[in-house]
Amino acid sequence: MAVEVLEPFLKGDTGRNTRGLLRLIILCTIAAAAVASRLFSVIRTWHPLGRVTGGTLYPGLMVTSGIIYHVLRLLSMPVDIRNICVLLAPGFSGLTAFASYLITSEMTTSPSAGLLAAVFMGITPGYISRSVAGSYDNEAIAIFLLVFTFFLWIKSVKNGSAMWGALTALFYGYMVSAWGGYVFITNLLPLHTFVLICMGRYSPRLYVSYSTWFSLGTLASMQVPFVGFLPIRSSDHMSALGVFGLLQLVAFVEFIRQQVPNKQFQTLLRGLIFVVFVVSMGVLVLLTVSGVIAPWSGRFYSLWDTGYAKIHIPIIASVSEHQPTAWPAFFFDLNLMIWLFPAGVYMCFQHLKDEHVFVVIYAVLASYFAGVMVRLMLTLTPVVCIAAALAISSILDTYLVADNPIPTETQSNGQATGDSVKSATNMIKDSLRSTRNPVLGIYSYISKASVVGAVTTYLLLFVLHCTWVTSNAYSSPSVVLASKLPDGSQHIIDDYREAYYWLRQNTPDKAKIMSWWDYGYQIGGMADRPTLVDNNTWNNTHIATVGKAMSSREEVSYPILRQHDVDYVLVVFGGLLGYSGDDINKFLWMVRISEGIWPDEINERNYFTARGEYRVDDEATPTMRNSLMYKMSYYNYNALFPAGQAQDRVRGSKLPAEGPQLSTLEEAFTSENWIIRIYKVKDLDNVGRDHASAVAFDKGNKKKKTAKRRGARVLRVE
Amino acid sequence: MLALDPRSYGNEKSAASLMEEVLILLLGCISNRGYKLTFESPKNDKLALFQHGERAFDHILLLPQKSKGTSSPANVDDFGLPNPGLGPALTPKLLVQFINQNGNILLTLSADYPTPTSISSLLLELDIHLPPDRDSLVVDHFNYDAASASEKHDVLLLPQGSRLRSDVKDYFGGDGTIAFPRAVAQELGNSNPLLAPVLRAKSTAYSYNPKDEADVVEDPFAVGEQISLVSSMQARNSARFTVFGSAEALENKWFDGKVKSVDGKDCKTANREFAKQIAAWTFMELGALKVGRVEHHLSSITGDAAGNDSVAQLGYLNPTIYRVKNEVTFNIEISEYSYDHLSHLKIDPSDALQLEITMLSPYHRLNLIPISQTPNSTTFSSTFKLPDQHGIFSFRVNYKRPFLTNVDIKREVTVRHFAHDEWPRSWEISAGWVWIAGVWITIAGWVAFVGIWLWSEPAYEQSKGKKMQ
Repeated sequence: MAVEVLEPFLKGDTGRNTRGLLRLIILCTIAAAAVASRLFSVIRTWHPLGRVTGGTLYPGLMVTSGIIYHVLRLLSMPVDIRNICVLLAPGFSGLTAFASYLITSEMTTSPSAGLLAAVFMGITPGYISRSVAGSYDNEAIAIFLLVFTFFLWIKSVKNGSAMWGALTALFYGYMVSAWGGYVFITNLLPLHTFVLICMGRYSPRLYVSYSTWFSLGTLASMQVPFVGFLPIRSSDHMSALGVFGLLQLVAFVEFIRQQVPNKQFQTLLRGLIFVVFVVSMGVLVLLTVSGVIAPWSGRFYSLWDTGYAKIHIPIIASVSEHQPTAWPAFFFDLNLMIWLFPAGVYMCFQHLKDEHVFVVIYAVLASYFAGVMVRLMLTLTPVVCIAAALAISSILDTYLVADNPIPTETQSNGQATGDSVKSATNMIKDSLRSTRNPVLGIYSYISKASVVGAVTTYLLLFVLHCTWVTSNAYSSPSVVLASKLPDGSQHIIDDYREAYYWLRQNTPDKAKIMSWWDYGYQIGGMADRPTLVDNNTWNNTHIATVGKAMSSREEVSYPILRQHDVDYVLVVFGGLLGYSGDDINKFLWMVRISEGIWPDEINERNYFTARGEYRVDDEATPTMRNSLMYKMSYYNYNALFPAGQAQDRVRGSKLPAEGPQLSTLEEAFTSENWIIRIYKVKDLDNVGRDHASAVAFDKGNKKKKTAKRRGARVLRVE
Repeated sequence: MLALDPRSYGNEKSAASLMEEVLILLLGCISNRGYKLTFESPKNDKLALFQHGERAFDHILLLPQKSKGTSSPANVDDFGLPNPGLGPALTPKLLVQFINQNGNILLTLSADYPTPTSISSLLLELDIHLPPDRDSLVVDHFNYDAASASEKHDVLLLPQGSRLRSDVKDYFGGDGTIAFPRAVAQELGNSNPLLAPVLRAKSTAYSYNPKDEADVVEDPFAVGEQISLVSSMQARNSARFTVFGSAEALENKWFDGKVKSVDGKDCKTANREFAKQIAAWTFMELGALKVGRVEHHLSSITGDAAGNDSVAQLGYLNPTIYRVKNEVTFNIEISEYSYDHLSHLKIDPSDALQLEITMLSPYHRLNLIPISQTPNSTTFSSTFKLPDQHGIFSFRVNYKRPFLTNVDIKREVTVRHFAHDEWPRSWEISAGWVWIAGVWITIAGWVAFVGIWLWSEPAYEQSKGKKMQ
């Protein structure tokens, strides 16, 4: 914030060095603030298939933290690897702020824009959400890589330098090794190139930078085992290849045109380009149809059709991050930048150099994607920061000038404004009345003061908002729940850890735990027990198997549990506490995912009442009430309440007077607030009965003697 | 009730039951084999099958008793029904718990004494059905003892040694004749896979109630070979439960008695021998398998049977991780207990001990071949190649046969994929030679091109300076 205030005072007589030093200090402060604001949060294997770690994982994150760890050790700084993992995301957010400074500085000559972008990037909640301390996720380093790769790309397009192109490829390769979102870069850079060609802006600079990036970057990306041959086999990467081919053709034509200035020849060449383009598109389609090139992935389709995932790939749609974004979320995550953003993009149109075209394309694509998926808000945030910084810096550069402008053509009142006015004048000419006599400056101190004051207030409010969001929404761990008691004191609900430590201390080392995949990593990490499925959702069928076991009758589920050597089943139940993120609320996704694999056995409709309601009370359908998930959630729950008054506080419904009976599982553990319930899978009955009759026998129900036989005798054959 | 204390395999104490006519010979026979006997009446208030949650006896021999209809308030079973005979210490629940805790029970029935409801409901749980009428007995008009039951035909004569199936070990064999007086028929249901009949009636036998159906039998409870006279149930934890259909057959009178078959031949009964077999089997002296060493290792690490110790010392034995396509050798040592010693296990050629390499479902199911044998054990072995599939596999030997204790051995191993340096190098793959050649030719061509380009002399000397920029 200090920047805007200090800038005019530095303008006059203070030397360049002082300004440079100040800028450096400001940048460091921003980076430190970016790191510090993320420190107020609390930290938060697939049996029996096994998972090839190298082949199902982006290694970039681990490699990065490993390198940092070893470098620090080399420098005789023995830091625990865990501390590095915890602080990696905040550390990289500092770098991200720096990268956004760099990329914004490429857009405009105003130095304040870069600093503003860095500040925005440093504290915006949209980015903090994924980079608080302890969020050791791919996105932690990926956003930095994304922004920095874009910076290098802009740099290489500007300079037409193979070195910058190679650096772009290098960081692109790093990005590929870090996050699946690299496909965004893979498609954005070709699109930028394509648009530039279409605008008739082909230049050798473009040719050099794109060719360098594409060839080196593709090779680099193929070195990641998880990606492998995808860059040449999947449709998601074909646009980069196609644009590369197009660029060669265009370059060839340019070359010929310089040699042979023949008009007819040029027409011929244009025709040739068109034919080659059409033919290559045809070949591409043919290869896709014949299966040589993998068709677009489901995740890609779900970007265009928001309903696609729900029907075809429920596992993707089941993640809350993949839901379409609600409008308030934009304001919540970006605050004032969301309305500065269009202004910034408009200012890019005013200049419209190659790099501004890039920002415009980026802005359009990212806004669309952010609207489709909550998660992709993350890719939108950098461009919003850049555009907003452009807009704000332009306002400040215009208004925050103490001197009155001298109304001559050469007089500059803030370089950016001068430029924009000039080019705007050139472009629009006399079409608009207001531009015929362009405004050259602000003369009134009152207007200056009021505008600057308003902007400063906005910026301060923005800081307030960011601090508030960060402390309230993004700094609470997901494992420990906190609630406020009526007297205002904090109450900690620690059921997850209680249950995980119970598992750790009371079950055999090799006990297999079945739970929904959301809890896989936590069980693996905190309870140290193998799980059937975890958050690395690489095998949809296996997850569907777990879904089937959860949503079927006991008689169907038990063989599945036996086959997978399951010893314990863990469910999350929020009914007592009113914790809405529980398994009954996720249950429909389990049903949908398993229905995708076994449409004959599982049918989503059967879990809804005749009127299409999802209910757990007396009116719940038999399928619902017989499902293992329902039984495990509500088993013995009645005992907590006076007869017939059991209440589910999440669904807000009264439960049936008689609770469900379990015969193949027995309750092993229920946490303090009933959030976690763990069941032990019974062995086969020792004396050869089925479980239901064994349980009935234990309860003292006498087995009925077979009355007079009806029909033919069933004889025993040895 | 009778408590037995054995020196038999794996047993410490044994139990017994009570009957007014003591079966001296049988019990003498049992105590001779080292069991410590404790006699208890169900009426004894202090009788308890469990002490501090553990079994107080190793085995129970339940004999029928006379107390007909003397139900005192104390003799009420779990279900609140009057329980003729068996007290609160012998409820079906407790008997099932006794089996679940590895105790063995030999139950004898008699048509002369009513079967307690406690027992019949226990049998019903196990899918063993008794005739609905308490007085029913089995008769056979073609195979009876002409000497003692020439009128009633209710003393059956049965040959010893009919095997259940050809591949089942013959523990109850012999060539004598067993006299089976006034037997209670049992019918085994199809739903319990753990049941196996030991002695079945002949096809001409049937069960009827001599009081109600003296004149005509319309719908007999069971007929022919469906009647099991001695049935066995071996629980999943290998505890054994035997139902002996005729307590009288164990009495002294029949142990060394003489019988006369229908065609007039006199012969001695083999009841003593048969009772010994039954008691020995029930009390784990017969058909008890013991698994010794279970080992697996890479086949490339050879070592004869004696050399395995050195293999173990090197740490190559029973690794927890293998690689796909590894050659692995699996060895298992099994002994069989027979009366008083461990002997080597011999498996019938029509049967096989099998090893499953399984993940979700078996990838291989291989016969284990006996490779070495000591007087006390046999070592079975198999060598195989792991499937080309990574994951957590189990080596499982699941050998469950009637009359043999269950063997279910599972060893979990992780099978990993090839490490990055375990693939053949590029030049070892002949199909890759074309591409390798292509790479090197391109490189050489490029270098050559650069060389030619740099060293080829420009045609015009004078403009050299300008071109150089």
